[in-house]
Amino acid sequence: MNEMNSDFAADAYQAADERSSKLNLNIFLAELGRLKRIVAGFGLSVQDGEDVLQDVSIKALKHFEKYRNREDSIRWLIKVTVNRCLMEHRRRRSFRRHAQEILRRRAEFGAKSNRADEKAIVVEELEIVRESLQELDDSLLGPMVLRYFCDLNSKEVGQILGLNPSTVRSRLREARMILAKRLLERGVEP
Amino acid sequence: MEKSCEEIREMLVDYADGQLLPSDSKKVADHLAECAHCRKMLDALQRSLELAGVVWEDGLAETKEIRAPIHGKVRKIRWPRYAAIAAGILLVVTTSIVWRELVRPAKKELTFAEIERRITESSNAARLLAATELLAEYPDAETIVKEQYRYIVETYPETAAAAKAKLKIQ
Repeated sequence: MNEMNSDFAADAYQAADERSSKLNLNIFLAELGRLKRIVAGFGLSVQDGEDVLQDVSIKALKHFEKYRNREDSIRWLIKVTVNRCLMEHRRRRSFRRHAQEILRRRAEFGAKSNRADEKAIVVEELEIVRESLQELDDSLLGPMVLRYFCDLNSKEVGQILGLNPSTVRSRLREARMILAKRLLERGVEP
Repeated sequence: MEKSCEEIREMLVDYADGQLLPSDSKKVADHLAECAHCRKMLDALQRSLELAGVVWEDGLAETKEIRAPIHGKVRKIRWPRYAAIAAGILLVVTTSIVWRELVRPAKKELTFAEIERRITESSNAARLLAATELLAEYPDAETIVKEQYRYIVETYPETAAAAKAKLKIQ
């Protein structure tokens, strides 16, 4: 558990004196990394991400007791987080950082750099994909993030989103084709 | 685009994800070997996912800045604190009441003679007021009536009749 999480744990433990609340907080904290990954997958800003996680933590304390086991609780946590992120996405508050800025940050934080002649193309490509993600319908973005960024399989994604695995697959196909076609339509050769 | 390209493209995402049956996967691979359009689409599918990964990873780097939800805790009801506040308020109120009782001048006790005096004054004032009101019906008696009211006010100031008389004068 990192320093930030332990600060939160200390604060939260002080406030929550019932055993169930402590248990719920434990699960929330244990899954905080994964929840942050979901927030990142939906391209939310730090501020919006904080708001989302705050709401989720409050809901976790209030509603966890009705779930019998840890797996159900985790699934519920992810579902609530995804729904809350989708709300921000619908309000077009996601993926607001432009490609150039993303690449600048990558270079700054030591991510792998490309050759100079490739860089211009990458910016253009990246901007198309960023815009496509931003414009993607929420019914498609949810499965995309959970499947390809959170490494869940179609069955797990279906359980979280309340869809059957075949629907998840068809949505993934649709989302992927949208992104790929955008690249090709804008004349970018992959 | 040929008919077979359409069919293949339906399967391209699953092919890229390794979700096809071996027989279907071979069918797609055979088609790709001969079709540049579909190869281009497959490249675009893979490239767009890679780039989506870049966008997502950028967001993930940013989540380090997300502070843990410090307000996401259940506020404990702090009974000892509330009890201390309530006790403090009770103490202040009680002290002020006791203090007031101690320093307030003792009430003058009402004696029987005093009660009798007040009753007599009230009845006298009431009788005078009634008589004056009868007299007020005569327009010529206006001056006398006013004097009479004034007399009631001055002589029996603590009575209800005096209060009424005062109103008549005004």
